[in-house]
Amino acid sequence: MRKLLSGNEAVARGAWEAGVEVATAYPGTPSTEIVQALAGYPEVNAQWSVNEKVALEVASGAGYAGARSLCAMKHVGLNVASDPLFTLSYTGIQGGLVVVTADDPNLYSSQNEQDNRHYARAAKLPMLEPSDSDEARRFSKTAFALSEKYDCPVLLRLTTRISHGESLTELEERKMGPVLKKFDRNPSKYVMLPGYARPRHPLVEERMNRLKEFAETFPENRIEMGDKKIGIVSSGVAYQYGREAFPDASFLKLGMVWPLPEKLVKKFAGQVEKLFVVEELDPFLEDNLRMMGLDPVGKEVFPLCGELSPELVKQGVSGKGSVREINFDQAIPQRPPILCPGCPHRGVFHILKKLKVFTCGDIGCYTLAAQPPLNALHTCLCMGAGIGQSFGMEKALGKDARVVAVIGDSTFYHSGITALADIVYNRGKGTVLILDNLTTAMTGRQGHPGSGLDIYGQPSPVVELEKLVLGLGVKRVTVVNPYDLPLLEKVIQEEMEADEPSVIIARSACVLIPQFKGVRKKPVRVDREKCDGCKICLQLMCPALTWEAKTEPGKKRKGYARIDPLQCTGCEICLQVCNEAAICREDQ
Amino acid sequence: MTPDLINLIVCGVGGQGNILASQIVAGAGIKKGLRVAIGETYGASQRGGSVMSHIRFSTAFPVGPLIPKGEADLIVGFEPLETLRVLLEYGNDTTKVVFNPRPNYPISVLSGDSKYPDLELIFTQIKNLAAVSVVVEATELAKQAGNHLAQNLVMVGALAASNWLDFSLELFHQAISELFSDPEKRDLNLRAFNAGIKGFQQAANK
Repeated sequence: MRKLLSGNEAVARGAWEAGVEVATAYPGTPSTEIVQALAGYPEVNAQWSVNEKVALEVASGAGYAGARSLCAMKHVGLNVASDPLFTLSYTGIQGGLVVVTADDPNLYSSQNEQDNRHYARAAKLPMLEPSDSDEARRFSKTAFALSEKYDCPVLLRLTTRISHGESLTELEERKMGPVLKKFDRNPSKYVMLPGYARPRHPLVEERMNRLKEFAETFPENRIEMGDKKIGIVSSGVAYQYGREAFPDASFLKLGMVWPLPEKLVKKFAGQVEKLFVVEELDPFLEDNLRMMGLDPVGKEVFPLCGELSPELVKQGVSGKGSVREINFDQAIPQRPPILCPGCPHRGVFHILKKLKVFTCGDIGCYTLAAQPPLNALHTCLCMGAGIGQSFGMEKALGKDARVVAVIGDSTFYHSGITALADIVYNRGKGTVLILDNLTTAMTGRQGHPGSGLDIYGQPSPVVELEKLVLGLGVKRVTVVNPYDLPLLEKVIQEEMEADEPSVIIARSACVLIPQFKGVRKKPVRVDREKCDGCKICLQLMCPALTWEAKTEPGKKRKGYARIDPLQCTGCEICLQVCNEAAICREDQ
Repeated sequence: MTPDLINLIVCGVGGQGNILASQIVAGAGIKKGLRVAIGETYGASQRGGSVMSHIRFSTAFPVGPLIPKGEADLIVGFEPLETLRVLLEYGNDTTKVVFNPRPNYPISVLSGDSKYPDLELIFTQIKNLAAVSVVVEATELAKQAGNHLAQNLVMVGALAASNWLDFSLELFHQAISELFSDPEKRDLNLRAFNAGIKGFQQAANK
């Protein structure tokens, strides 16, 4: 039986077929749907973890106890989880442990474009890379078997095009792994004291040598001989592009990108006239081929930045472009994503902009407030960074520096807590705004420890934000309704002036979750007679507000604002911002 | 007869139902026995950004998730500016286009900082660049069918009526029915789909 599955769904399917019992993740595009899909299989115990590090620790604990487990994350999530990962390479596991990293070439939804193949080499772990959904399913299964055979976690690398691409996938039955579940009391393997860890390192090196041998005959590393004039070494989605651009060429298709099968690579290189390496992002394969003494054509003809495409591969190999160039007479405006109509974050950023504060931001929908016309967020580095950075700015610029940190609820649980403890401990006086919309919104509304919902949508115990913050030693904690602009302004002013750390929790449900029903009101409208065309409401970046350019005799204004009643949620932020009282409720 | 490979792009604005539409069209192709690959990007783009689904049907060989630039055979556009954007990049002299003419304004246009290109000019350019272009008032038809948001199903109906894919209406009906277990939702979507069939026929006869 064949089914159309995304790469993410296929990884989940493969893991299920391999008998996976525990699955963990923190949501992150493009990896989110893997563990979401695993939650749909009744035999699997799935969870959203507070962050990727904890997710990997939970999954590896299950692995220590003999269960097959999977942990999925986006590329930058592996930075967070890298601490346990590197030493798991030493301890190994009992039940198979698969760590899925979904890289994001072209930064469709990320803060950088890092190439996580380097982690496989650095952590001394095998890495598989599928090139379509059916391979994603099969490699997911293979990874569990390899993990148990070689006693180490196995990395499965996806990229956005594999994760979110869909293709027909075979389906097989579930078959449990051979490992029995039990405690394994073996301190020299699981307690990484220097004295125990030192003898583990040579075992890791020896394991990598055995894996190198395995890679030579692994059927997913295969030579597809065609025209010998062009030989292409490739893996993942880049292989698909290469195949499409040069259907008749010869290929070395690598299913395992670390460690590499040196003999097989050299055999292939010896059979073709011109050797190319087609890979996205870094010259990872290319550099390794050079270390084997080969001289392939790679990044001098293929881009280092952004994603590849069939035409870029064609252009690189043949040196010719084939695309028609047609220009349109008028500029075509870009269409970036924006905050939804009624979003509870909007008012907060309006006030921060009004107060002219420097805002250390974080990762979530609210990062969109950095764009024009809001222009109200000034940094975004990584999950949880804003709090620590705002403290650093306070140290650099003095206690009166007008700086605040803004962080979402899910991001705060992920990695804001420790930074806030740092501020309290080191006598900071910073103000942190936690924008609590009761969900992990950007990735598609997943639960988190404060949301009261687990991955199955079932009620879960709540780690209460106010108590948590008080427990960290912050004495000034205020909860505000983010739609009440005068109150927001007053509280932010007061807390910034306080001579001790403070937290403002701006709490209201995301417009895309069911709890928003109680918040939604009737749309507001513009009284055209009163509107003086000042455009202050349009600076709010609300999709429901539009500008109607129109000059009329006897009127100074060049047009007026309009509100789309289909989109307006009645949040009344524009109503509070208007100086002419031109925006009113429907009944007024 | 089906050619070896058909490249179809469904494009629009995040939130317009691109993914659902591509699932239905792909589902119909699978029922016809074709190989299907879809290239999809989502994530940040669901917040009102430009979105695009690449759907590729092949008879024998598997293909990757991305349509090469200049190689789209068919474009289904949910918004005129997005239709033009995609046609300029992915179209060629034989590309056929069906699109919803109702504009959706990017934020820079809403705030008055940039201008949405002249609509008539967009229509003319699409007409000139494409081998065939058909305008279907999908939002209006969806409203009449019960919900303006079902414009995506109206556009799927228009594509089905065009017969450019050579898939029978029955295949589409099956694909839609399988996706909606709730009878109310299924009926709404089928109504919108049927409205799209009529809409295309009327537009094509103009």
